[in-house]
Amino acid sequence: MSRQVDRESLTLITGAAQGIGGATARHFDTLGARLALNDREASPALAALCAATDAVAAPADITSRDDIRSMIATLTSQHGPIGTLVCNAAYMTMAPFLEHEPGDWWKIIDTNAAGTLRVIQEVLPSMRSLGGGRIVVVCSYWGLTGWPDASAYAASKAGLISLVKTLGRELAPEGIVVNGIAPGVTATPQLEVDARAAGLSVAEMHRQYAAGIPLGRIAHADEIAAGIAFLADRRLGAMIGTVLNVNGGEVRARA
Amino acid sequence: MSTSPITETTSRVAFVTGAASGIGASVTRLLRASGYRVTGFDLRRGEADLNIIGDVTDPAGVAEAVAQTQERFGSLDVVVSVAGHYEMLPVDAISDADWLRMINVHLGGLTTLLRCALPGMLERRSGRIIAVTSELAIGGGDHDAHYATAKGSIIGFVRSLAVELAAKGVLVNAVAPGPCDTPLLAADSPWRDRAYLDTLPARRLANPEEIAVAVEFLASEASFCVGEVISINSGAVI
Repeated sequence: MSRQVDRESLTLITGAAQGIGGATARHFDTLGARLALNDREASPALAALCAATDAVAAPADITSRDDIRSMIATLTSQHGPIGTLVCNAAYMTMAPFLEHEPGDWWKIIDTNAAGTLRVIQEVLPSMRSLGGGRIVVVCSYWGLTGWPDASAYAASKAGLISLVKTLGRELAPEGIVVNGIAPGVTATPQLEVDARAAGLSVAEMHRQYAAGIPLGRIAHADEIAAGIAFLADRRLGAMIGTVLNVNGGEVRARA
Repeated sequence: MSTSPITETTSRVAFVTGAASGIGASVTRLLRASGYRVTGFDLRRGEADLNIIGDVTDPAGVAEAVAQTQERFGSLDVVVSVAGHYEMLPVDAISDADWLRMINVHLGGLTTLLRCALPGMLERRSGRIIAVTSELAIGGGDHDAHYATAKGSIIGFVRSLAVELAAKGVLVNAVAPGPCDTPLLAADSPWRDRAYLDTLPARRLANPEEIAVAVEFLASEASFCVGEVISINSGAVI
């Protein structure tokens, strides 16, 4: 494999303590990236992953502008500018639309859509100081298709797809390349949460999802990580505002 | 969690059509640098490990080349259909022969290649098929009716074949380049005009090396991509 990610400036991954974010941290570490790993709080899991990947821990809640600002200020003053950003942090609960408590419904939008926007806004000066950068936003195929009982999550991810397209256009002239990835169902701790909520075993949850996937299985988190690294490849400057589908063939449509 | 299904690329074998110039030459170069042994198939000699001169619209020639590849390298893991033909014509000036040539080179070239390469992949329950389509298949283009139709048919074919073959171990995907700095684009092409380039978010043409990076991703990683079409088009169509 000849993947060429940024090895000089800092790579910031949000929501990195577990799941797709954690797999992405480990994958970028093998590619030689200098990592800063964000999660909502300084958990033992985040500390362990930072130790394993020689990364800087960057805890911050992306629903708080102040938290993000102070995280970025600390990172850039101590470790230099951020050239690559992977926006992965997300929050999800599922419920039928009218039964979904409005505060929780809006927390999903505020975390996934607004939180991602805030992080990008605060990282842009860093990328501008470098004369360019790579931003990869983790969307979801549910943002394309919608999904029953996931109105807030699907809306937040659809919003991110539009954000990727818009910022792709807006920032490309500055050499800041923005793309997204739309994972299909992936084996992560979130899926275990969903299984519990649905009263199913994890194995049964996997089986139900796999039944709708032409490849016959759900994704491994490191398959999503490999897609994120591809989108962050420094050799690619003409791939702009795209959303890479990594869903085992469940959805074959242009995001 | 079980181990990653992402495959090692060392000593895999690839067959690339249109390998002598432009995107095909870049794909050949990058795959070789990534450890593949590559057969290049083109109207003229390229710089692959095994170079075979032939035309993708000639089924016997393609069959012979695929057979030679399997004989020489013992396997065929990846096929990349790059060979193409481009011309711009107003729709009422497109003759039956023009239509047929477009369809024969693009959809015919891909399907002929697969009739030869797919049986071995299905037998081994392992293979990667990568087709090159075009941004014009997604967004259309002025004076591009026959080219856009031919390239659009590639997308429908790829997505259908992808669903059909995924459970059988063969992954089918595509790359859709935008205007690309290759010999297929004439020196006086309107796609090279500064005024046009300035309308693109990237402010430049894509280069064939970028398309090759996407092809290599689909060949070597991308183990959960099925029927995906990767756009690298300088932001021409988003």
